[in-house]
Amino acid sequence: MKTMTLHDIERLSAFLDGQLPQAEKTRLESRLKSDPELAAALDELRQTRAILRRTPKRRLPRNFTLTPKMAGLRPPVPRLVPAFSWASVVAMLLFICTLGTNLLGRFSFGAAAPMMAAEPMGVGGGPADEGLAATESAVDSAYADLTATPEAYVQAVPEATLAPDTRLVQPPDTAQEKPRQPLNPWLLLWPGLAALLLAAALFVRWRNQRMFKKRISRK
Amino acid sequence: MDEPALIREAQRGDLEAFNRLVLAYQELLFNTALRVLGDEDLAADATQEAFLSAFRALNSYRGGSFKAWLTRTVINACYDELRRKKRRPTTPLEPETGNGEEMESPRWLADPSASPEEQLDQAELEHAIQHCLDALPADFKTVVVLADIQGLDYTEVARAVHVPLGTIKSRLARARLRLRECLQAFRELLPAMFRLQEERGT
Repeated sequence: MKTMTLHDIERLSAFLDGQLPQAEKTRLESRLKSDPELAAALDELRQTRAILRRTPKRRLPRNFTLTPKMAGLRPPVPRLVPAFSWASVVAMLLFICTLGTNLLGRFSFGAAAPMMAAEPMGVGGGPADEGLAATESAVDSAYADLTATPEAYVQAVPEATLAPDTRLVQPPDTAQEKPRQPLNPWLLLWPGLAALLLAAALFVRWRNQRMFKKRISRK
Repeated sequence: MDEPALIREAQRGDLEAFNRLVLAYQELLFNTALRVLGDEDLAADATQEAFLSAFRALNSYRGGSFKAWLTRTVINACYDELRRKKRRPTTPLEPETGNGEEMESPRWLADPSASPEEQLDQAELEHAIQHCLDALPADFKTVVVLADIQGLDYTEVARAVHVPLGTIKSRLARARLRLRECLQAFRELLPAMFRLQEERGT
């Protein structure tokens, strides 16, 4: 076998499996007749293949079937109430609404306060300046419109005409002590609705999971 | 067994249908893994892993030999295992094959109805073959295991290993050549298997 090339071995091996094209097969068959070394090599390959084919099969140590857990099967997303597939979207919208209403409420209180605190220093300096202040404010109304909300401006001017003594004693943050507006009932409604939706979604999911488990154990 | 129907059902997520396919092919996959890895525990892990990944990737099966497609998953699992073994070589708790002691245990022998002598012959034959297979590079070993031990045809082997047919022919020839030389060493040790072979004729 030593004088044979690797290509010869490949040919013999393919010949053994009936995988040689007809032309090559005929050529090899005639060579095999005249070359005993080649014929012996073929015989040895055939014997090797026969031994390999007799490799004992081992019995399985266990079955390899998959359990639902292994296969990663989870109960399908509940499709009982199609609306629940939008539950997260609805919840998000409710959240944004609640947040928005909260923030808006806070800004409407907060915007007035700094203006009231600032005006007494600049405009309401004293009773003597009152007239001047009024004209100035009239002239500058266009400018004031740009810098402050008209609402704040209107609120600020009458404030300035009040007795300055009391204003000076009072700390500027008294404005915050103004009575708060009663809580908007709508603000309570949104989280309530969201909580209700969440509870319903959880219930449907739990029911679905139980049904899935029952179905699996039946199998 | 209506294999195409079972495959279709399994592709729709029917685990019961898939498990029927598992029962049909588990012996092939386990024995393939066993010969490639040479270790029963590793082979069992690779087989389980192969069926798991087959179930997950079942929708990528687009017809053709399902046997070859499944074999490919177990070959991939074996190669993963071999790579892991290379990265973290472990010391076995029990003595490795080589002293041949564990072969005394007949629990896994193929034919329980065989006589004790025949069983011993089979055990020795298996030991000799595994010893020679282990000396082969993984690519050669895989091809010879699939073609000669599991009896897959060239096209199926090419599909399972994902290399061209020409490469399969070449690898198989080289593997057989090396195995022939290795098994020669057992000729004196195991005269029975060679005698048997000669009696059966070629």
